[in-house]
Amino acid sequence: MMWDDKGEEYIKESQHLINQLAVLIRTCLIHSTENVAVLKAIERFLEIIHSFLQENESLRIDLIGEFFYINETRVKYPLEYLLNFDYLSREFRRRELGTVVFYPNVTKEAIKTFISAFIKSGYSNTPYESLEAYLEKTDSIHIERLKKIQEEGEIDRRRIVKKTYFNAVSFTRGVMNKLRAGEKVSIKKAKRIIESMVDMILQEEPLLIGMTAIKDYDDYTYHHSVNVSILSIAIGQKIGLHKKALTELGLVALFHDIGKMEIPKEILNKPTPFTEEEWQIVRRHPYWGARTILKLKGLEKSSILGAIVAFEHHMYYDHSGYPKVREPKALDFYSRIVAIADQYDAMTSSRVYARVPLPPDKALSVMMERAGTQIDPVLFKFFVNMVGVYPVGSLVLLDTKEMGLVYECNPLFADRPRVMIIVDSRGNKIDGYIVDLTEKDDSGRYIRSIVKTLDPNRYKVNLAEYLL
Amino acid sequence: MAAVEELKDFINHLIKAKKNIRLYPENNPVYMKTLEEIYSYLKNLLEEEEDLVFHIKQFEILHDGEVIYKNEDKDESLALFFFKDGIRELRFKKGIPLDEVEDFLKIISTDFERQMVDDDIVTLMWERDFQYIQYVVDDTILIEDETYEEEAVRQVKKAVSGADVLKAYQEAFGIEKPSEVSIVPLTNEDIKNIVQQIEEEDEDKSLKLIHLLFEMLFYASGKGEYEELVRYIKETFNYAIGRGNIETVIYGLEKLRQSLQERIYPPEINSLLKGVEYYINSSQFIRLFGETLDAGVEFEEKDLYRLASLMSKESIPHLIAILGELQNISSRKTVIRILTEIGKKDLSLLAKGLHDRRWYVVRNIIYIMRQIGNRRIIDYITPLIRHPDKRVKKEVLSALGELGSAGTVQLLKDCLYDEDETVRITAVRSIGMLDSPLSKKVILETIQDKRFKDRSVAEKKEFFKVLSRWRDTDTVDYLISLLKRRSFFRKTRVEEMKAMAAYALGLIGAKEAKELLEKYRNSKNPLLRENIEFALTRIKNDVG
Repeated sequence: MMWDDKGEEYIKESQHLINQLAVLIRTCLIHSTENVAVLKAIERFLEIIHSFLQENESLRIDLIGEFFYINETRVKYPLEYLLNFDYLSREFRRRELGTVVFYPNVTKEAIKTFISAFIKSGYSNTPYESLEAYLEKTDSIHIERLKKIQEEGEIDRRRIVKKTYFNAVSFTRGVMNKLRAGEKVSIKKAKRIIESMVDMILQEEPLLIGMTAIKDYDDYTYHHSVNVSILSIAIGQKIGLHKKALTELGLVALFHDIGKMEIPKEILNKPTPFTEEEWQIVRRHPYWGARTILKLKGLEKSSILGAIVAFEHHMYYDHSGYPKVREPKALDFYSRIVAIADQYDAMTSSRVYARVPLPPDKALSVMMERAGTQIDPVLFKFFVNMVGVYPVGSLVLLDTKEMGLVYECNPLFADRPRVMIIVDSRGNKIDGYIVDLTEKDDSGRYIRSIVKTLDPNRYKVNLAEYLL
Repeated sequence: MAAVEELKDFINHLIKAKKNIRLYPENNPVYMKTLEEIYSYLKNLLEEEEDLVFHIKQFEILHDGEVIYKNEDKDESLALFFFKDGIRELRFKKGIPLDEVEDFLKIISTDFERQMVDDDIVTLMWERDFQYIQYVVDDTILIEDETYEEEAVRQVKKAVSGADVLKAYQEAFGIEKPSEVSIVPLTNEDIKNIVQQIEEEDEDKSLKLIHLLFEMLFYASGKGEYEELVRYIKETFNYAIGRGNIETVIYGLEKLRQSLQERIYPPEINSLLKGVEYYINSSQFIRLFGETLDAGVEFEEKDLYRLASLMSKESIPHLIAILGELQNISSRKTVIRILTEIGKKDLSLLAKGLHDRRWYVVRNIIYIMRQIGNRRIIDYITPLIRHPDKRVKKEVLSALGELGSAGTVQLLKDCLYDEDETVRITAVRSIGMLDSPLSKKVILETIQDKRFKDRSVAEKKEFFKVLSRWRDTDTVDYLISLLKRRSFFRKTRVEEMKAMAAYALGLIGAKEAKELLEKYRNSKNPLLRENIEFALTRIKNDVG
């Protein structure tokens, strides 16, 4: 196939290529390389490879961050192949494999050798080296090791992520103040802010999610709005929403609590529990929010969606929340996403009105009990797969007697995040360094594993000290 | 590397393309030529370099440090156009496909001032997610408060300054291992479920909004809030109809009707809701509907009937008004379908459309009345039998034929002598449909009139076809007598009449005429021969 027009066709074929490689590996795990099913899968894979090689001297597949790239072009994540994409990137990481290059002389036999080597290397303690050795004599396929993220680069990335985050919070505060003063608000600017967050989610998801784990800010409402927006975008990304939809989702999530502006400050900032009367006022914020959004922009697609989400985000999946309605209708898809993000962030934050924040892992287990009643069970599954068993900010004790804060979740190994060690094995407080819980020793055993979680709020231990 | 002159030329073409793409529709040759030119320019330039990179300054565009474009005019400058939204670099990559070039041109052709779009050029480029066009954006224009980050970090660090890490460490060994959240693997079923939900995500959520606005009315307090929410309900109707979403309008009207019937809201709200009901039947709303129809939106029959059943007779004059203004035939047909339903609610209001100065509106109204089928319409339409436009006249004749009585024949009789042949044909058909003895008498009288012979064969045929409805002996005898008629003068005209008689005998299936018909089988007159053959075949088949 020739691609005069490298549009949809090219994108689809790139997706097929990654999917077919995953299919091929999975098929080979069950059958021998001489099996008809395997031979068919190889033929199809070769067919796709050759269609790329008609226009290029080589076909290069890179795994960079969360994404596969084909000849330096990012392959969009198609939802129908999500499981295979996840599987393949996990298997690449397991072998520390970052790049595979196919040359025009690649044959069926070479592919068989590559697949066998790929599978066998999975059982080795030094998988990349094994893979390299198996492929030594194959000149039509070349591999490269997965590039480790450089610490210096990480500092830069962290700076950009921080800037994006605080800019969004500052913007949200500005919007709320403008609305209070009855001034006009720029939707163009709001969209640009959300777009920068969507870009961050696509490139630096763990770091931006890490920013949401920092609590204790004075401006809870603004930070909460931004956190809910980030977490919603991240769920949206996970379920395969396209960029434009992610912006819409991020925008409506950012304004989901806009109705709180109407709650008198003396109630909102009250340090003791609300009285029933005060609760009644607080429970009106979804109604106020929907009205504010409609007033803000008049009727158009995003304001309609925003009003719906603002009104529904506390209603609960089974309509047991508030506001109560006379004729319940299924909650909007976006409302269900925002509700999960909202609950999680609210539960893990220390809000003014007498709520002790829950540790992230505890919040997740509470939410798990609510899945199917208060929150959408399927979307919640995606959420847990995204934030991991030990979400960012969790305080954990390791089997090495080290203690640390979960710093970045690992989308491929939900129970093996990257952890910032803050107390060493001898009980000394140290300036945090980061370890990856997927690291293994020479015998193939994990070097570190989580054995216990603690409540970080109880000891005022917070990622802020290390991340900011 | 591309020559400076080539690059300058490319930018000039880009400026020209920005105007052309905005001005001309996609199927216009100028549009297509512009697109092809830019595409081939880019391809040529990219043959020499891997990436074509332009740096954007406030009023200048540079390539490899060289200024290739400069314009300080705030309205015209291409550099400023990119610069003001924060674009500082544009990069076109080798292999760029035509569709990316086209979409890029469409984006830069957007009239951001006039079109009231909520997006700027960066948002549009970002949403399009180009693979071969990259850009660098300076986001400092988005920063609201440069000191915010520093202040927030200071606050939060202060809040966590009393962290007791070592206490946590000591106590960690004493606590029990908490229950863990287990990762529930995503199944193919989960993926399918989500894919389905994403696919079902309705682009237009106005129906849900209408639903919630009615719910929000229960939470509203005071006149101001009531008015505000009811105004949103009204605006949602406008929004939905503007996008061809008739379902929202139907749902909203049903909700409105139900809430008024059940009196679920306080009286102040009810009176405001009645205002919305009035609005739906107003000229303003119906004009909006008309605009949507003319934009090519089509609706399902069942939805149109539901909408019509919910609209009141007050909408009739406004629907008639747009009937005269709509540009598309299909739009007019839709309004006709709605009027056919609503018109039943008040025929006299509908009949006002019969006085419209536009002949086609009048004809449409008569057609609608025919569809309604109420005999009361005869009084309204009979005067129009003398309408100056023959198309109206024919519609009246058809309506009278369908709905009139024996007495109507006398009214139609004059039309058998109308100066227009199509009117005469319609009239004879209608007279036939009335199927009274007077009908037959009038038709026979017309056929026997001396002037009838001079009419066209087609018209004569129509008269005889109608006459064949009466299969009685008188009619057959008359037709046989015509067939036997002989004449040496005006032989062609006589033979035409004989052919018509044969045709009618065939339609009747008159076996008694078979022998006579056989006699003319070999007539030299082809028209007579053809009709004799037709008649014999019919009679034979009838016998069979």
